[in-house]
Amino acid sequence: MKKSLFFVTFLFVLFGLYLVCPLSYAADTIKVGIIDTYSGPATTYTQDVLDGFTLAINQINAKGGVLGRKIVFVTRDDKFKPDIALSMAKELVLRERVDILMGSTNSGGALAISDFAKKEKIPFIVTDAKSDKIVGEKGHRYVFNANENTMMIGKATARALAKKPYVKYWIMGEDYEFGHACAEAIWNNLKALKPNVQLLGQSWRKVGEVDLTPYLSGALQAGPDCIISASGGGGVVNFLKSVKAMGLAQKVPIYQHYATDTLALAPLGLEAPEGVMGSSSYHFYYPNTPENKAFVEEFRKVYKKYPGSTALYGYTAGMFIAKAYQKAGKVDIEWFIDALEGLVIDSPVGKLEMRACDHQVTLPMYYGVTKKVPGYDFLVGSDMITVPGKDYLPTCEEMMKLRK
Amino acid sequence: MDFIYTIFPPKVLSQVFVGLSRTTILFIVSSGLSLILGVLRIPNVAHGSLYMIGAFMAFTISKVFGGGDIGFWLALIGAPLGVALVSLIAERGVFQFLYEREHLMLLLLTFAFSLVFGDLVKIVWGAEYKSVPVPQVFQGFVNLFGGLPFPLYNLFLLIVGPIVAVVLWLIVNKTKIGKIARAAAVDREMVGAVGINVSWVFAIVFVIGCLLAGLGGALVAPTVSVTLGMDHTLIIEAFLIVIMGGLGNIWGALLGALIFGLSQSLGILIWSQFGIVFPYAAVIVVLLFRPTGLLKSTW
Repeated sequence: MKKSLFFVTFLFVLFGLYLVCPLSYAADTIKVGIIDTYSGPATTYTQDVLDGFTLAINQINAKGGVLGRKIVFVTRDDKFKPDIALSMAKELVLRERVDILMGSTNSGGALAISDFAKKEKIPFIVTDAKSDKIVGEKGHRYVFNANENTMMIGKATARALAKKPYVKYWIMGEDYEFGHACAEAIWNNLKALKPNVQLLGQSWRKVGEVDLTPYLSGALQAGPDCIISASGGGGVVNFLKSVKAMGLAQKVPIYQHYATDTLALAPLGLEAPEGVMGSSSYHFYYPNTPENKAFVEEFRKVYKKYPGSTALYGYTAGMFIAKAYQKAGKVDIEWFIDALEGLVIDSPVGKLEMRACDHQVTLPMYYGVTKKVPGYDFLVGSDMITVPGKDYLPTCEEMMKLRK
Repeated sequence: MDFIYTIFPPKVLSQVFVGLSRTTILFIVSSGLSLILGVLRIPNVAHGSLYMIGAFMAFTISKVFGGGDIGFWLALIGAPLGVALVSLIAERGVFQFLYEREHLMLLLLTFAFSLVFGDLVKIVWGAEYKSVPVPQVFQGFVNLFGGLPFPLYNLFLLIVGPIVAVVLWLIVNKTKIGKIARAAAVDREMVGAVGINVSWVFAIVFVIGCLLAGLGGALVAPTVSVTLGMDHTLIIEAFLIVIMGGLGNIWGALLGALIFGLSQSLGILIWSQFGIVFPYAAVIVVLLFRPTGLLKSTW
């Protein structure tokens, strides 16, 4: 009995040692710990983040890395669950001894990691969660957002829609955090810009709903001037398919953020509906600049696919990390953060700044209409309009007010 | 026609139509689930995964044959058969040894299978969204009552649903295997005692049930994005339908699917913002008054 007790204690101690000891003592690398969703429908987006990020750090490492160190990374699957995301973040920091945390596509997960990063004083770069709370009311010194957020989507979209003659709107969306936050942000901003708009009604469906016909015919029966759809991820593909099947884009103007995103349009091939208004902060064919072309060419060479919106976030996150260390001059967390604040990089979409005040990257937003274009075996956005980051991002004062 | 419209406004009629086409997919998938639940007593959580595999197989088959009409029809036959093969391997390899175990054990096992299948799909097909094109014949829409567009493909689903129901009825009621299966559902030991190889009867029933999941997946593929995680969305609804209709009763599954589909589409008309609540409210109401389900449960 005593013997077995000893044995159990011994095992516990051994296990404890295993937990606290880092697996590798690699002083000559900079280690990034990525917590993201690598199972379930969100994987399309997270895989592009990872591919973009890998591409960036491979380019950096090929040139000798930063400060004589190579950038390496480890990944963890949070299964789209905030509690798993948090425990993975803890594991990465305590056991893998990562220098920087990155991820997650789930807003709840990103907020949980952000809270942990704040306590542990570890930099955390958000690559694909869209909640505006991350750099808004829950923002702090150690969290940075390298992608767009729902507040930005709302502001930019409202500006675009306010210029159109539509008055009566119908909102439909997927019943989850992003859907509601997105719709709310668009609607509140639109109402402020154009007070005479009218909301005829709204419908919300389960995430992953198989048949959208009842929702679309319900919307059509209300007779709106325009339908605003707030779906995300695979929901956008489902939405576009149903719009096509009912020939809806020819009956009523429709807006959906991401409708022009390659990640949603490429799987549909030529089956996607033409004439749907959409937006995204990245398109591989626009802006048609040498920088963007070079990035797309490199990306296609390695992954045999076109980069979607999230590939840009992953790619720029890698560049921000490298450049910040370079500017800091040594591997130190506080120095890294000071360096990253206000840092400007040259990205495929032009100069991007990591704002010093709220740690939000100043991404531009592009608006277009889906269209068949010769040369591509899927639809792309046409008649693109660029809204530069500085024109629509909430001001630093607005953001600081939220944090109080 | 005007007379009908005064009783049923065109709005309501179109939503009923739209709801019915949704019912079809729900019925096909949950009837398979119910069949397995009734005869084998396995609460098969992996049923949703087989539905997902069916959709992915449909994607591959349709793509291999050029993504056109021929590809679609071949996928409609090939994908369910492929799923049947997968399920046959699972049944002969694992499930056949576990029929005597507790339900909880089987529940855990099938849940494990759903996780394994989920990862397998990711390994085989990758993470990108897939899309199966709607065949040429069913592209476009017809205008329903009041000029509402109704996709032709949904019309096709409305025809497939009753065909599946009739074929299933014939198998269960008119064939020998169906009769044995029904007997085995009531008393497994007695059927074995009269010299019938129960094990193989169970295997066949299991495969038929899973084939229906695959068929559901293949049928739904052209209307949605084929993606990881489509299994979880469906399996919960399918279980609710089966519970609402009466465990193991195929007609219960039909009734449950009808209630589920129609309450959803009509719910949108009544209170669009909370339309999502109606089917679940219907489940609660049914279970309050008929705790064992609407029709006779085989359990």
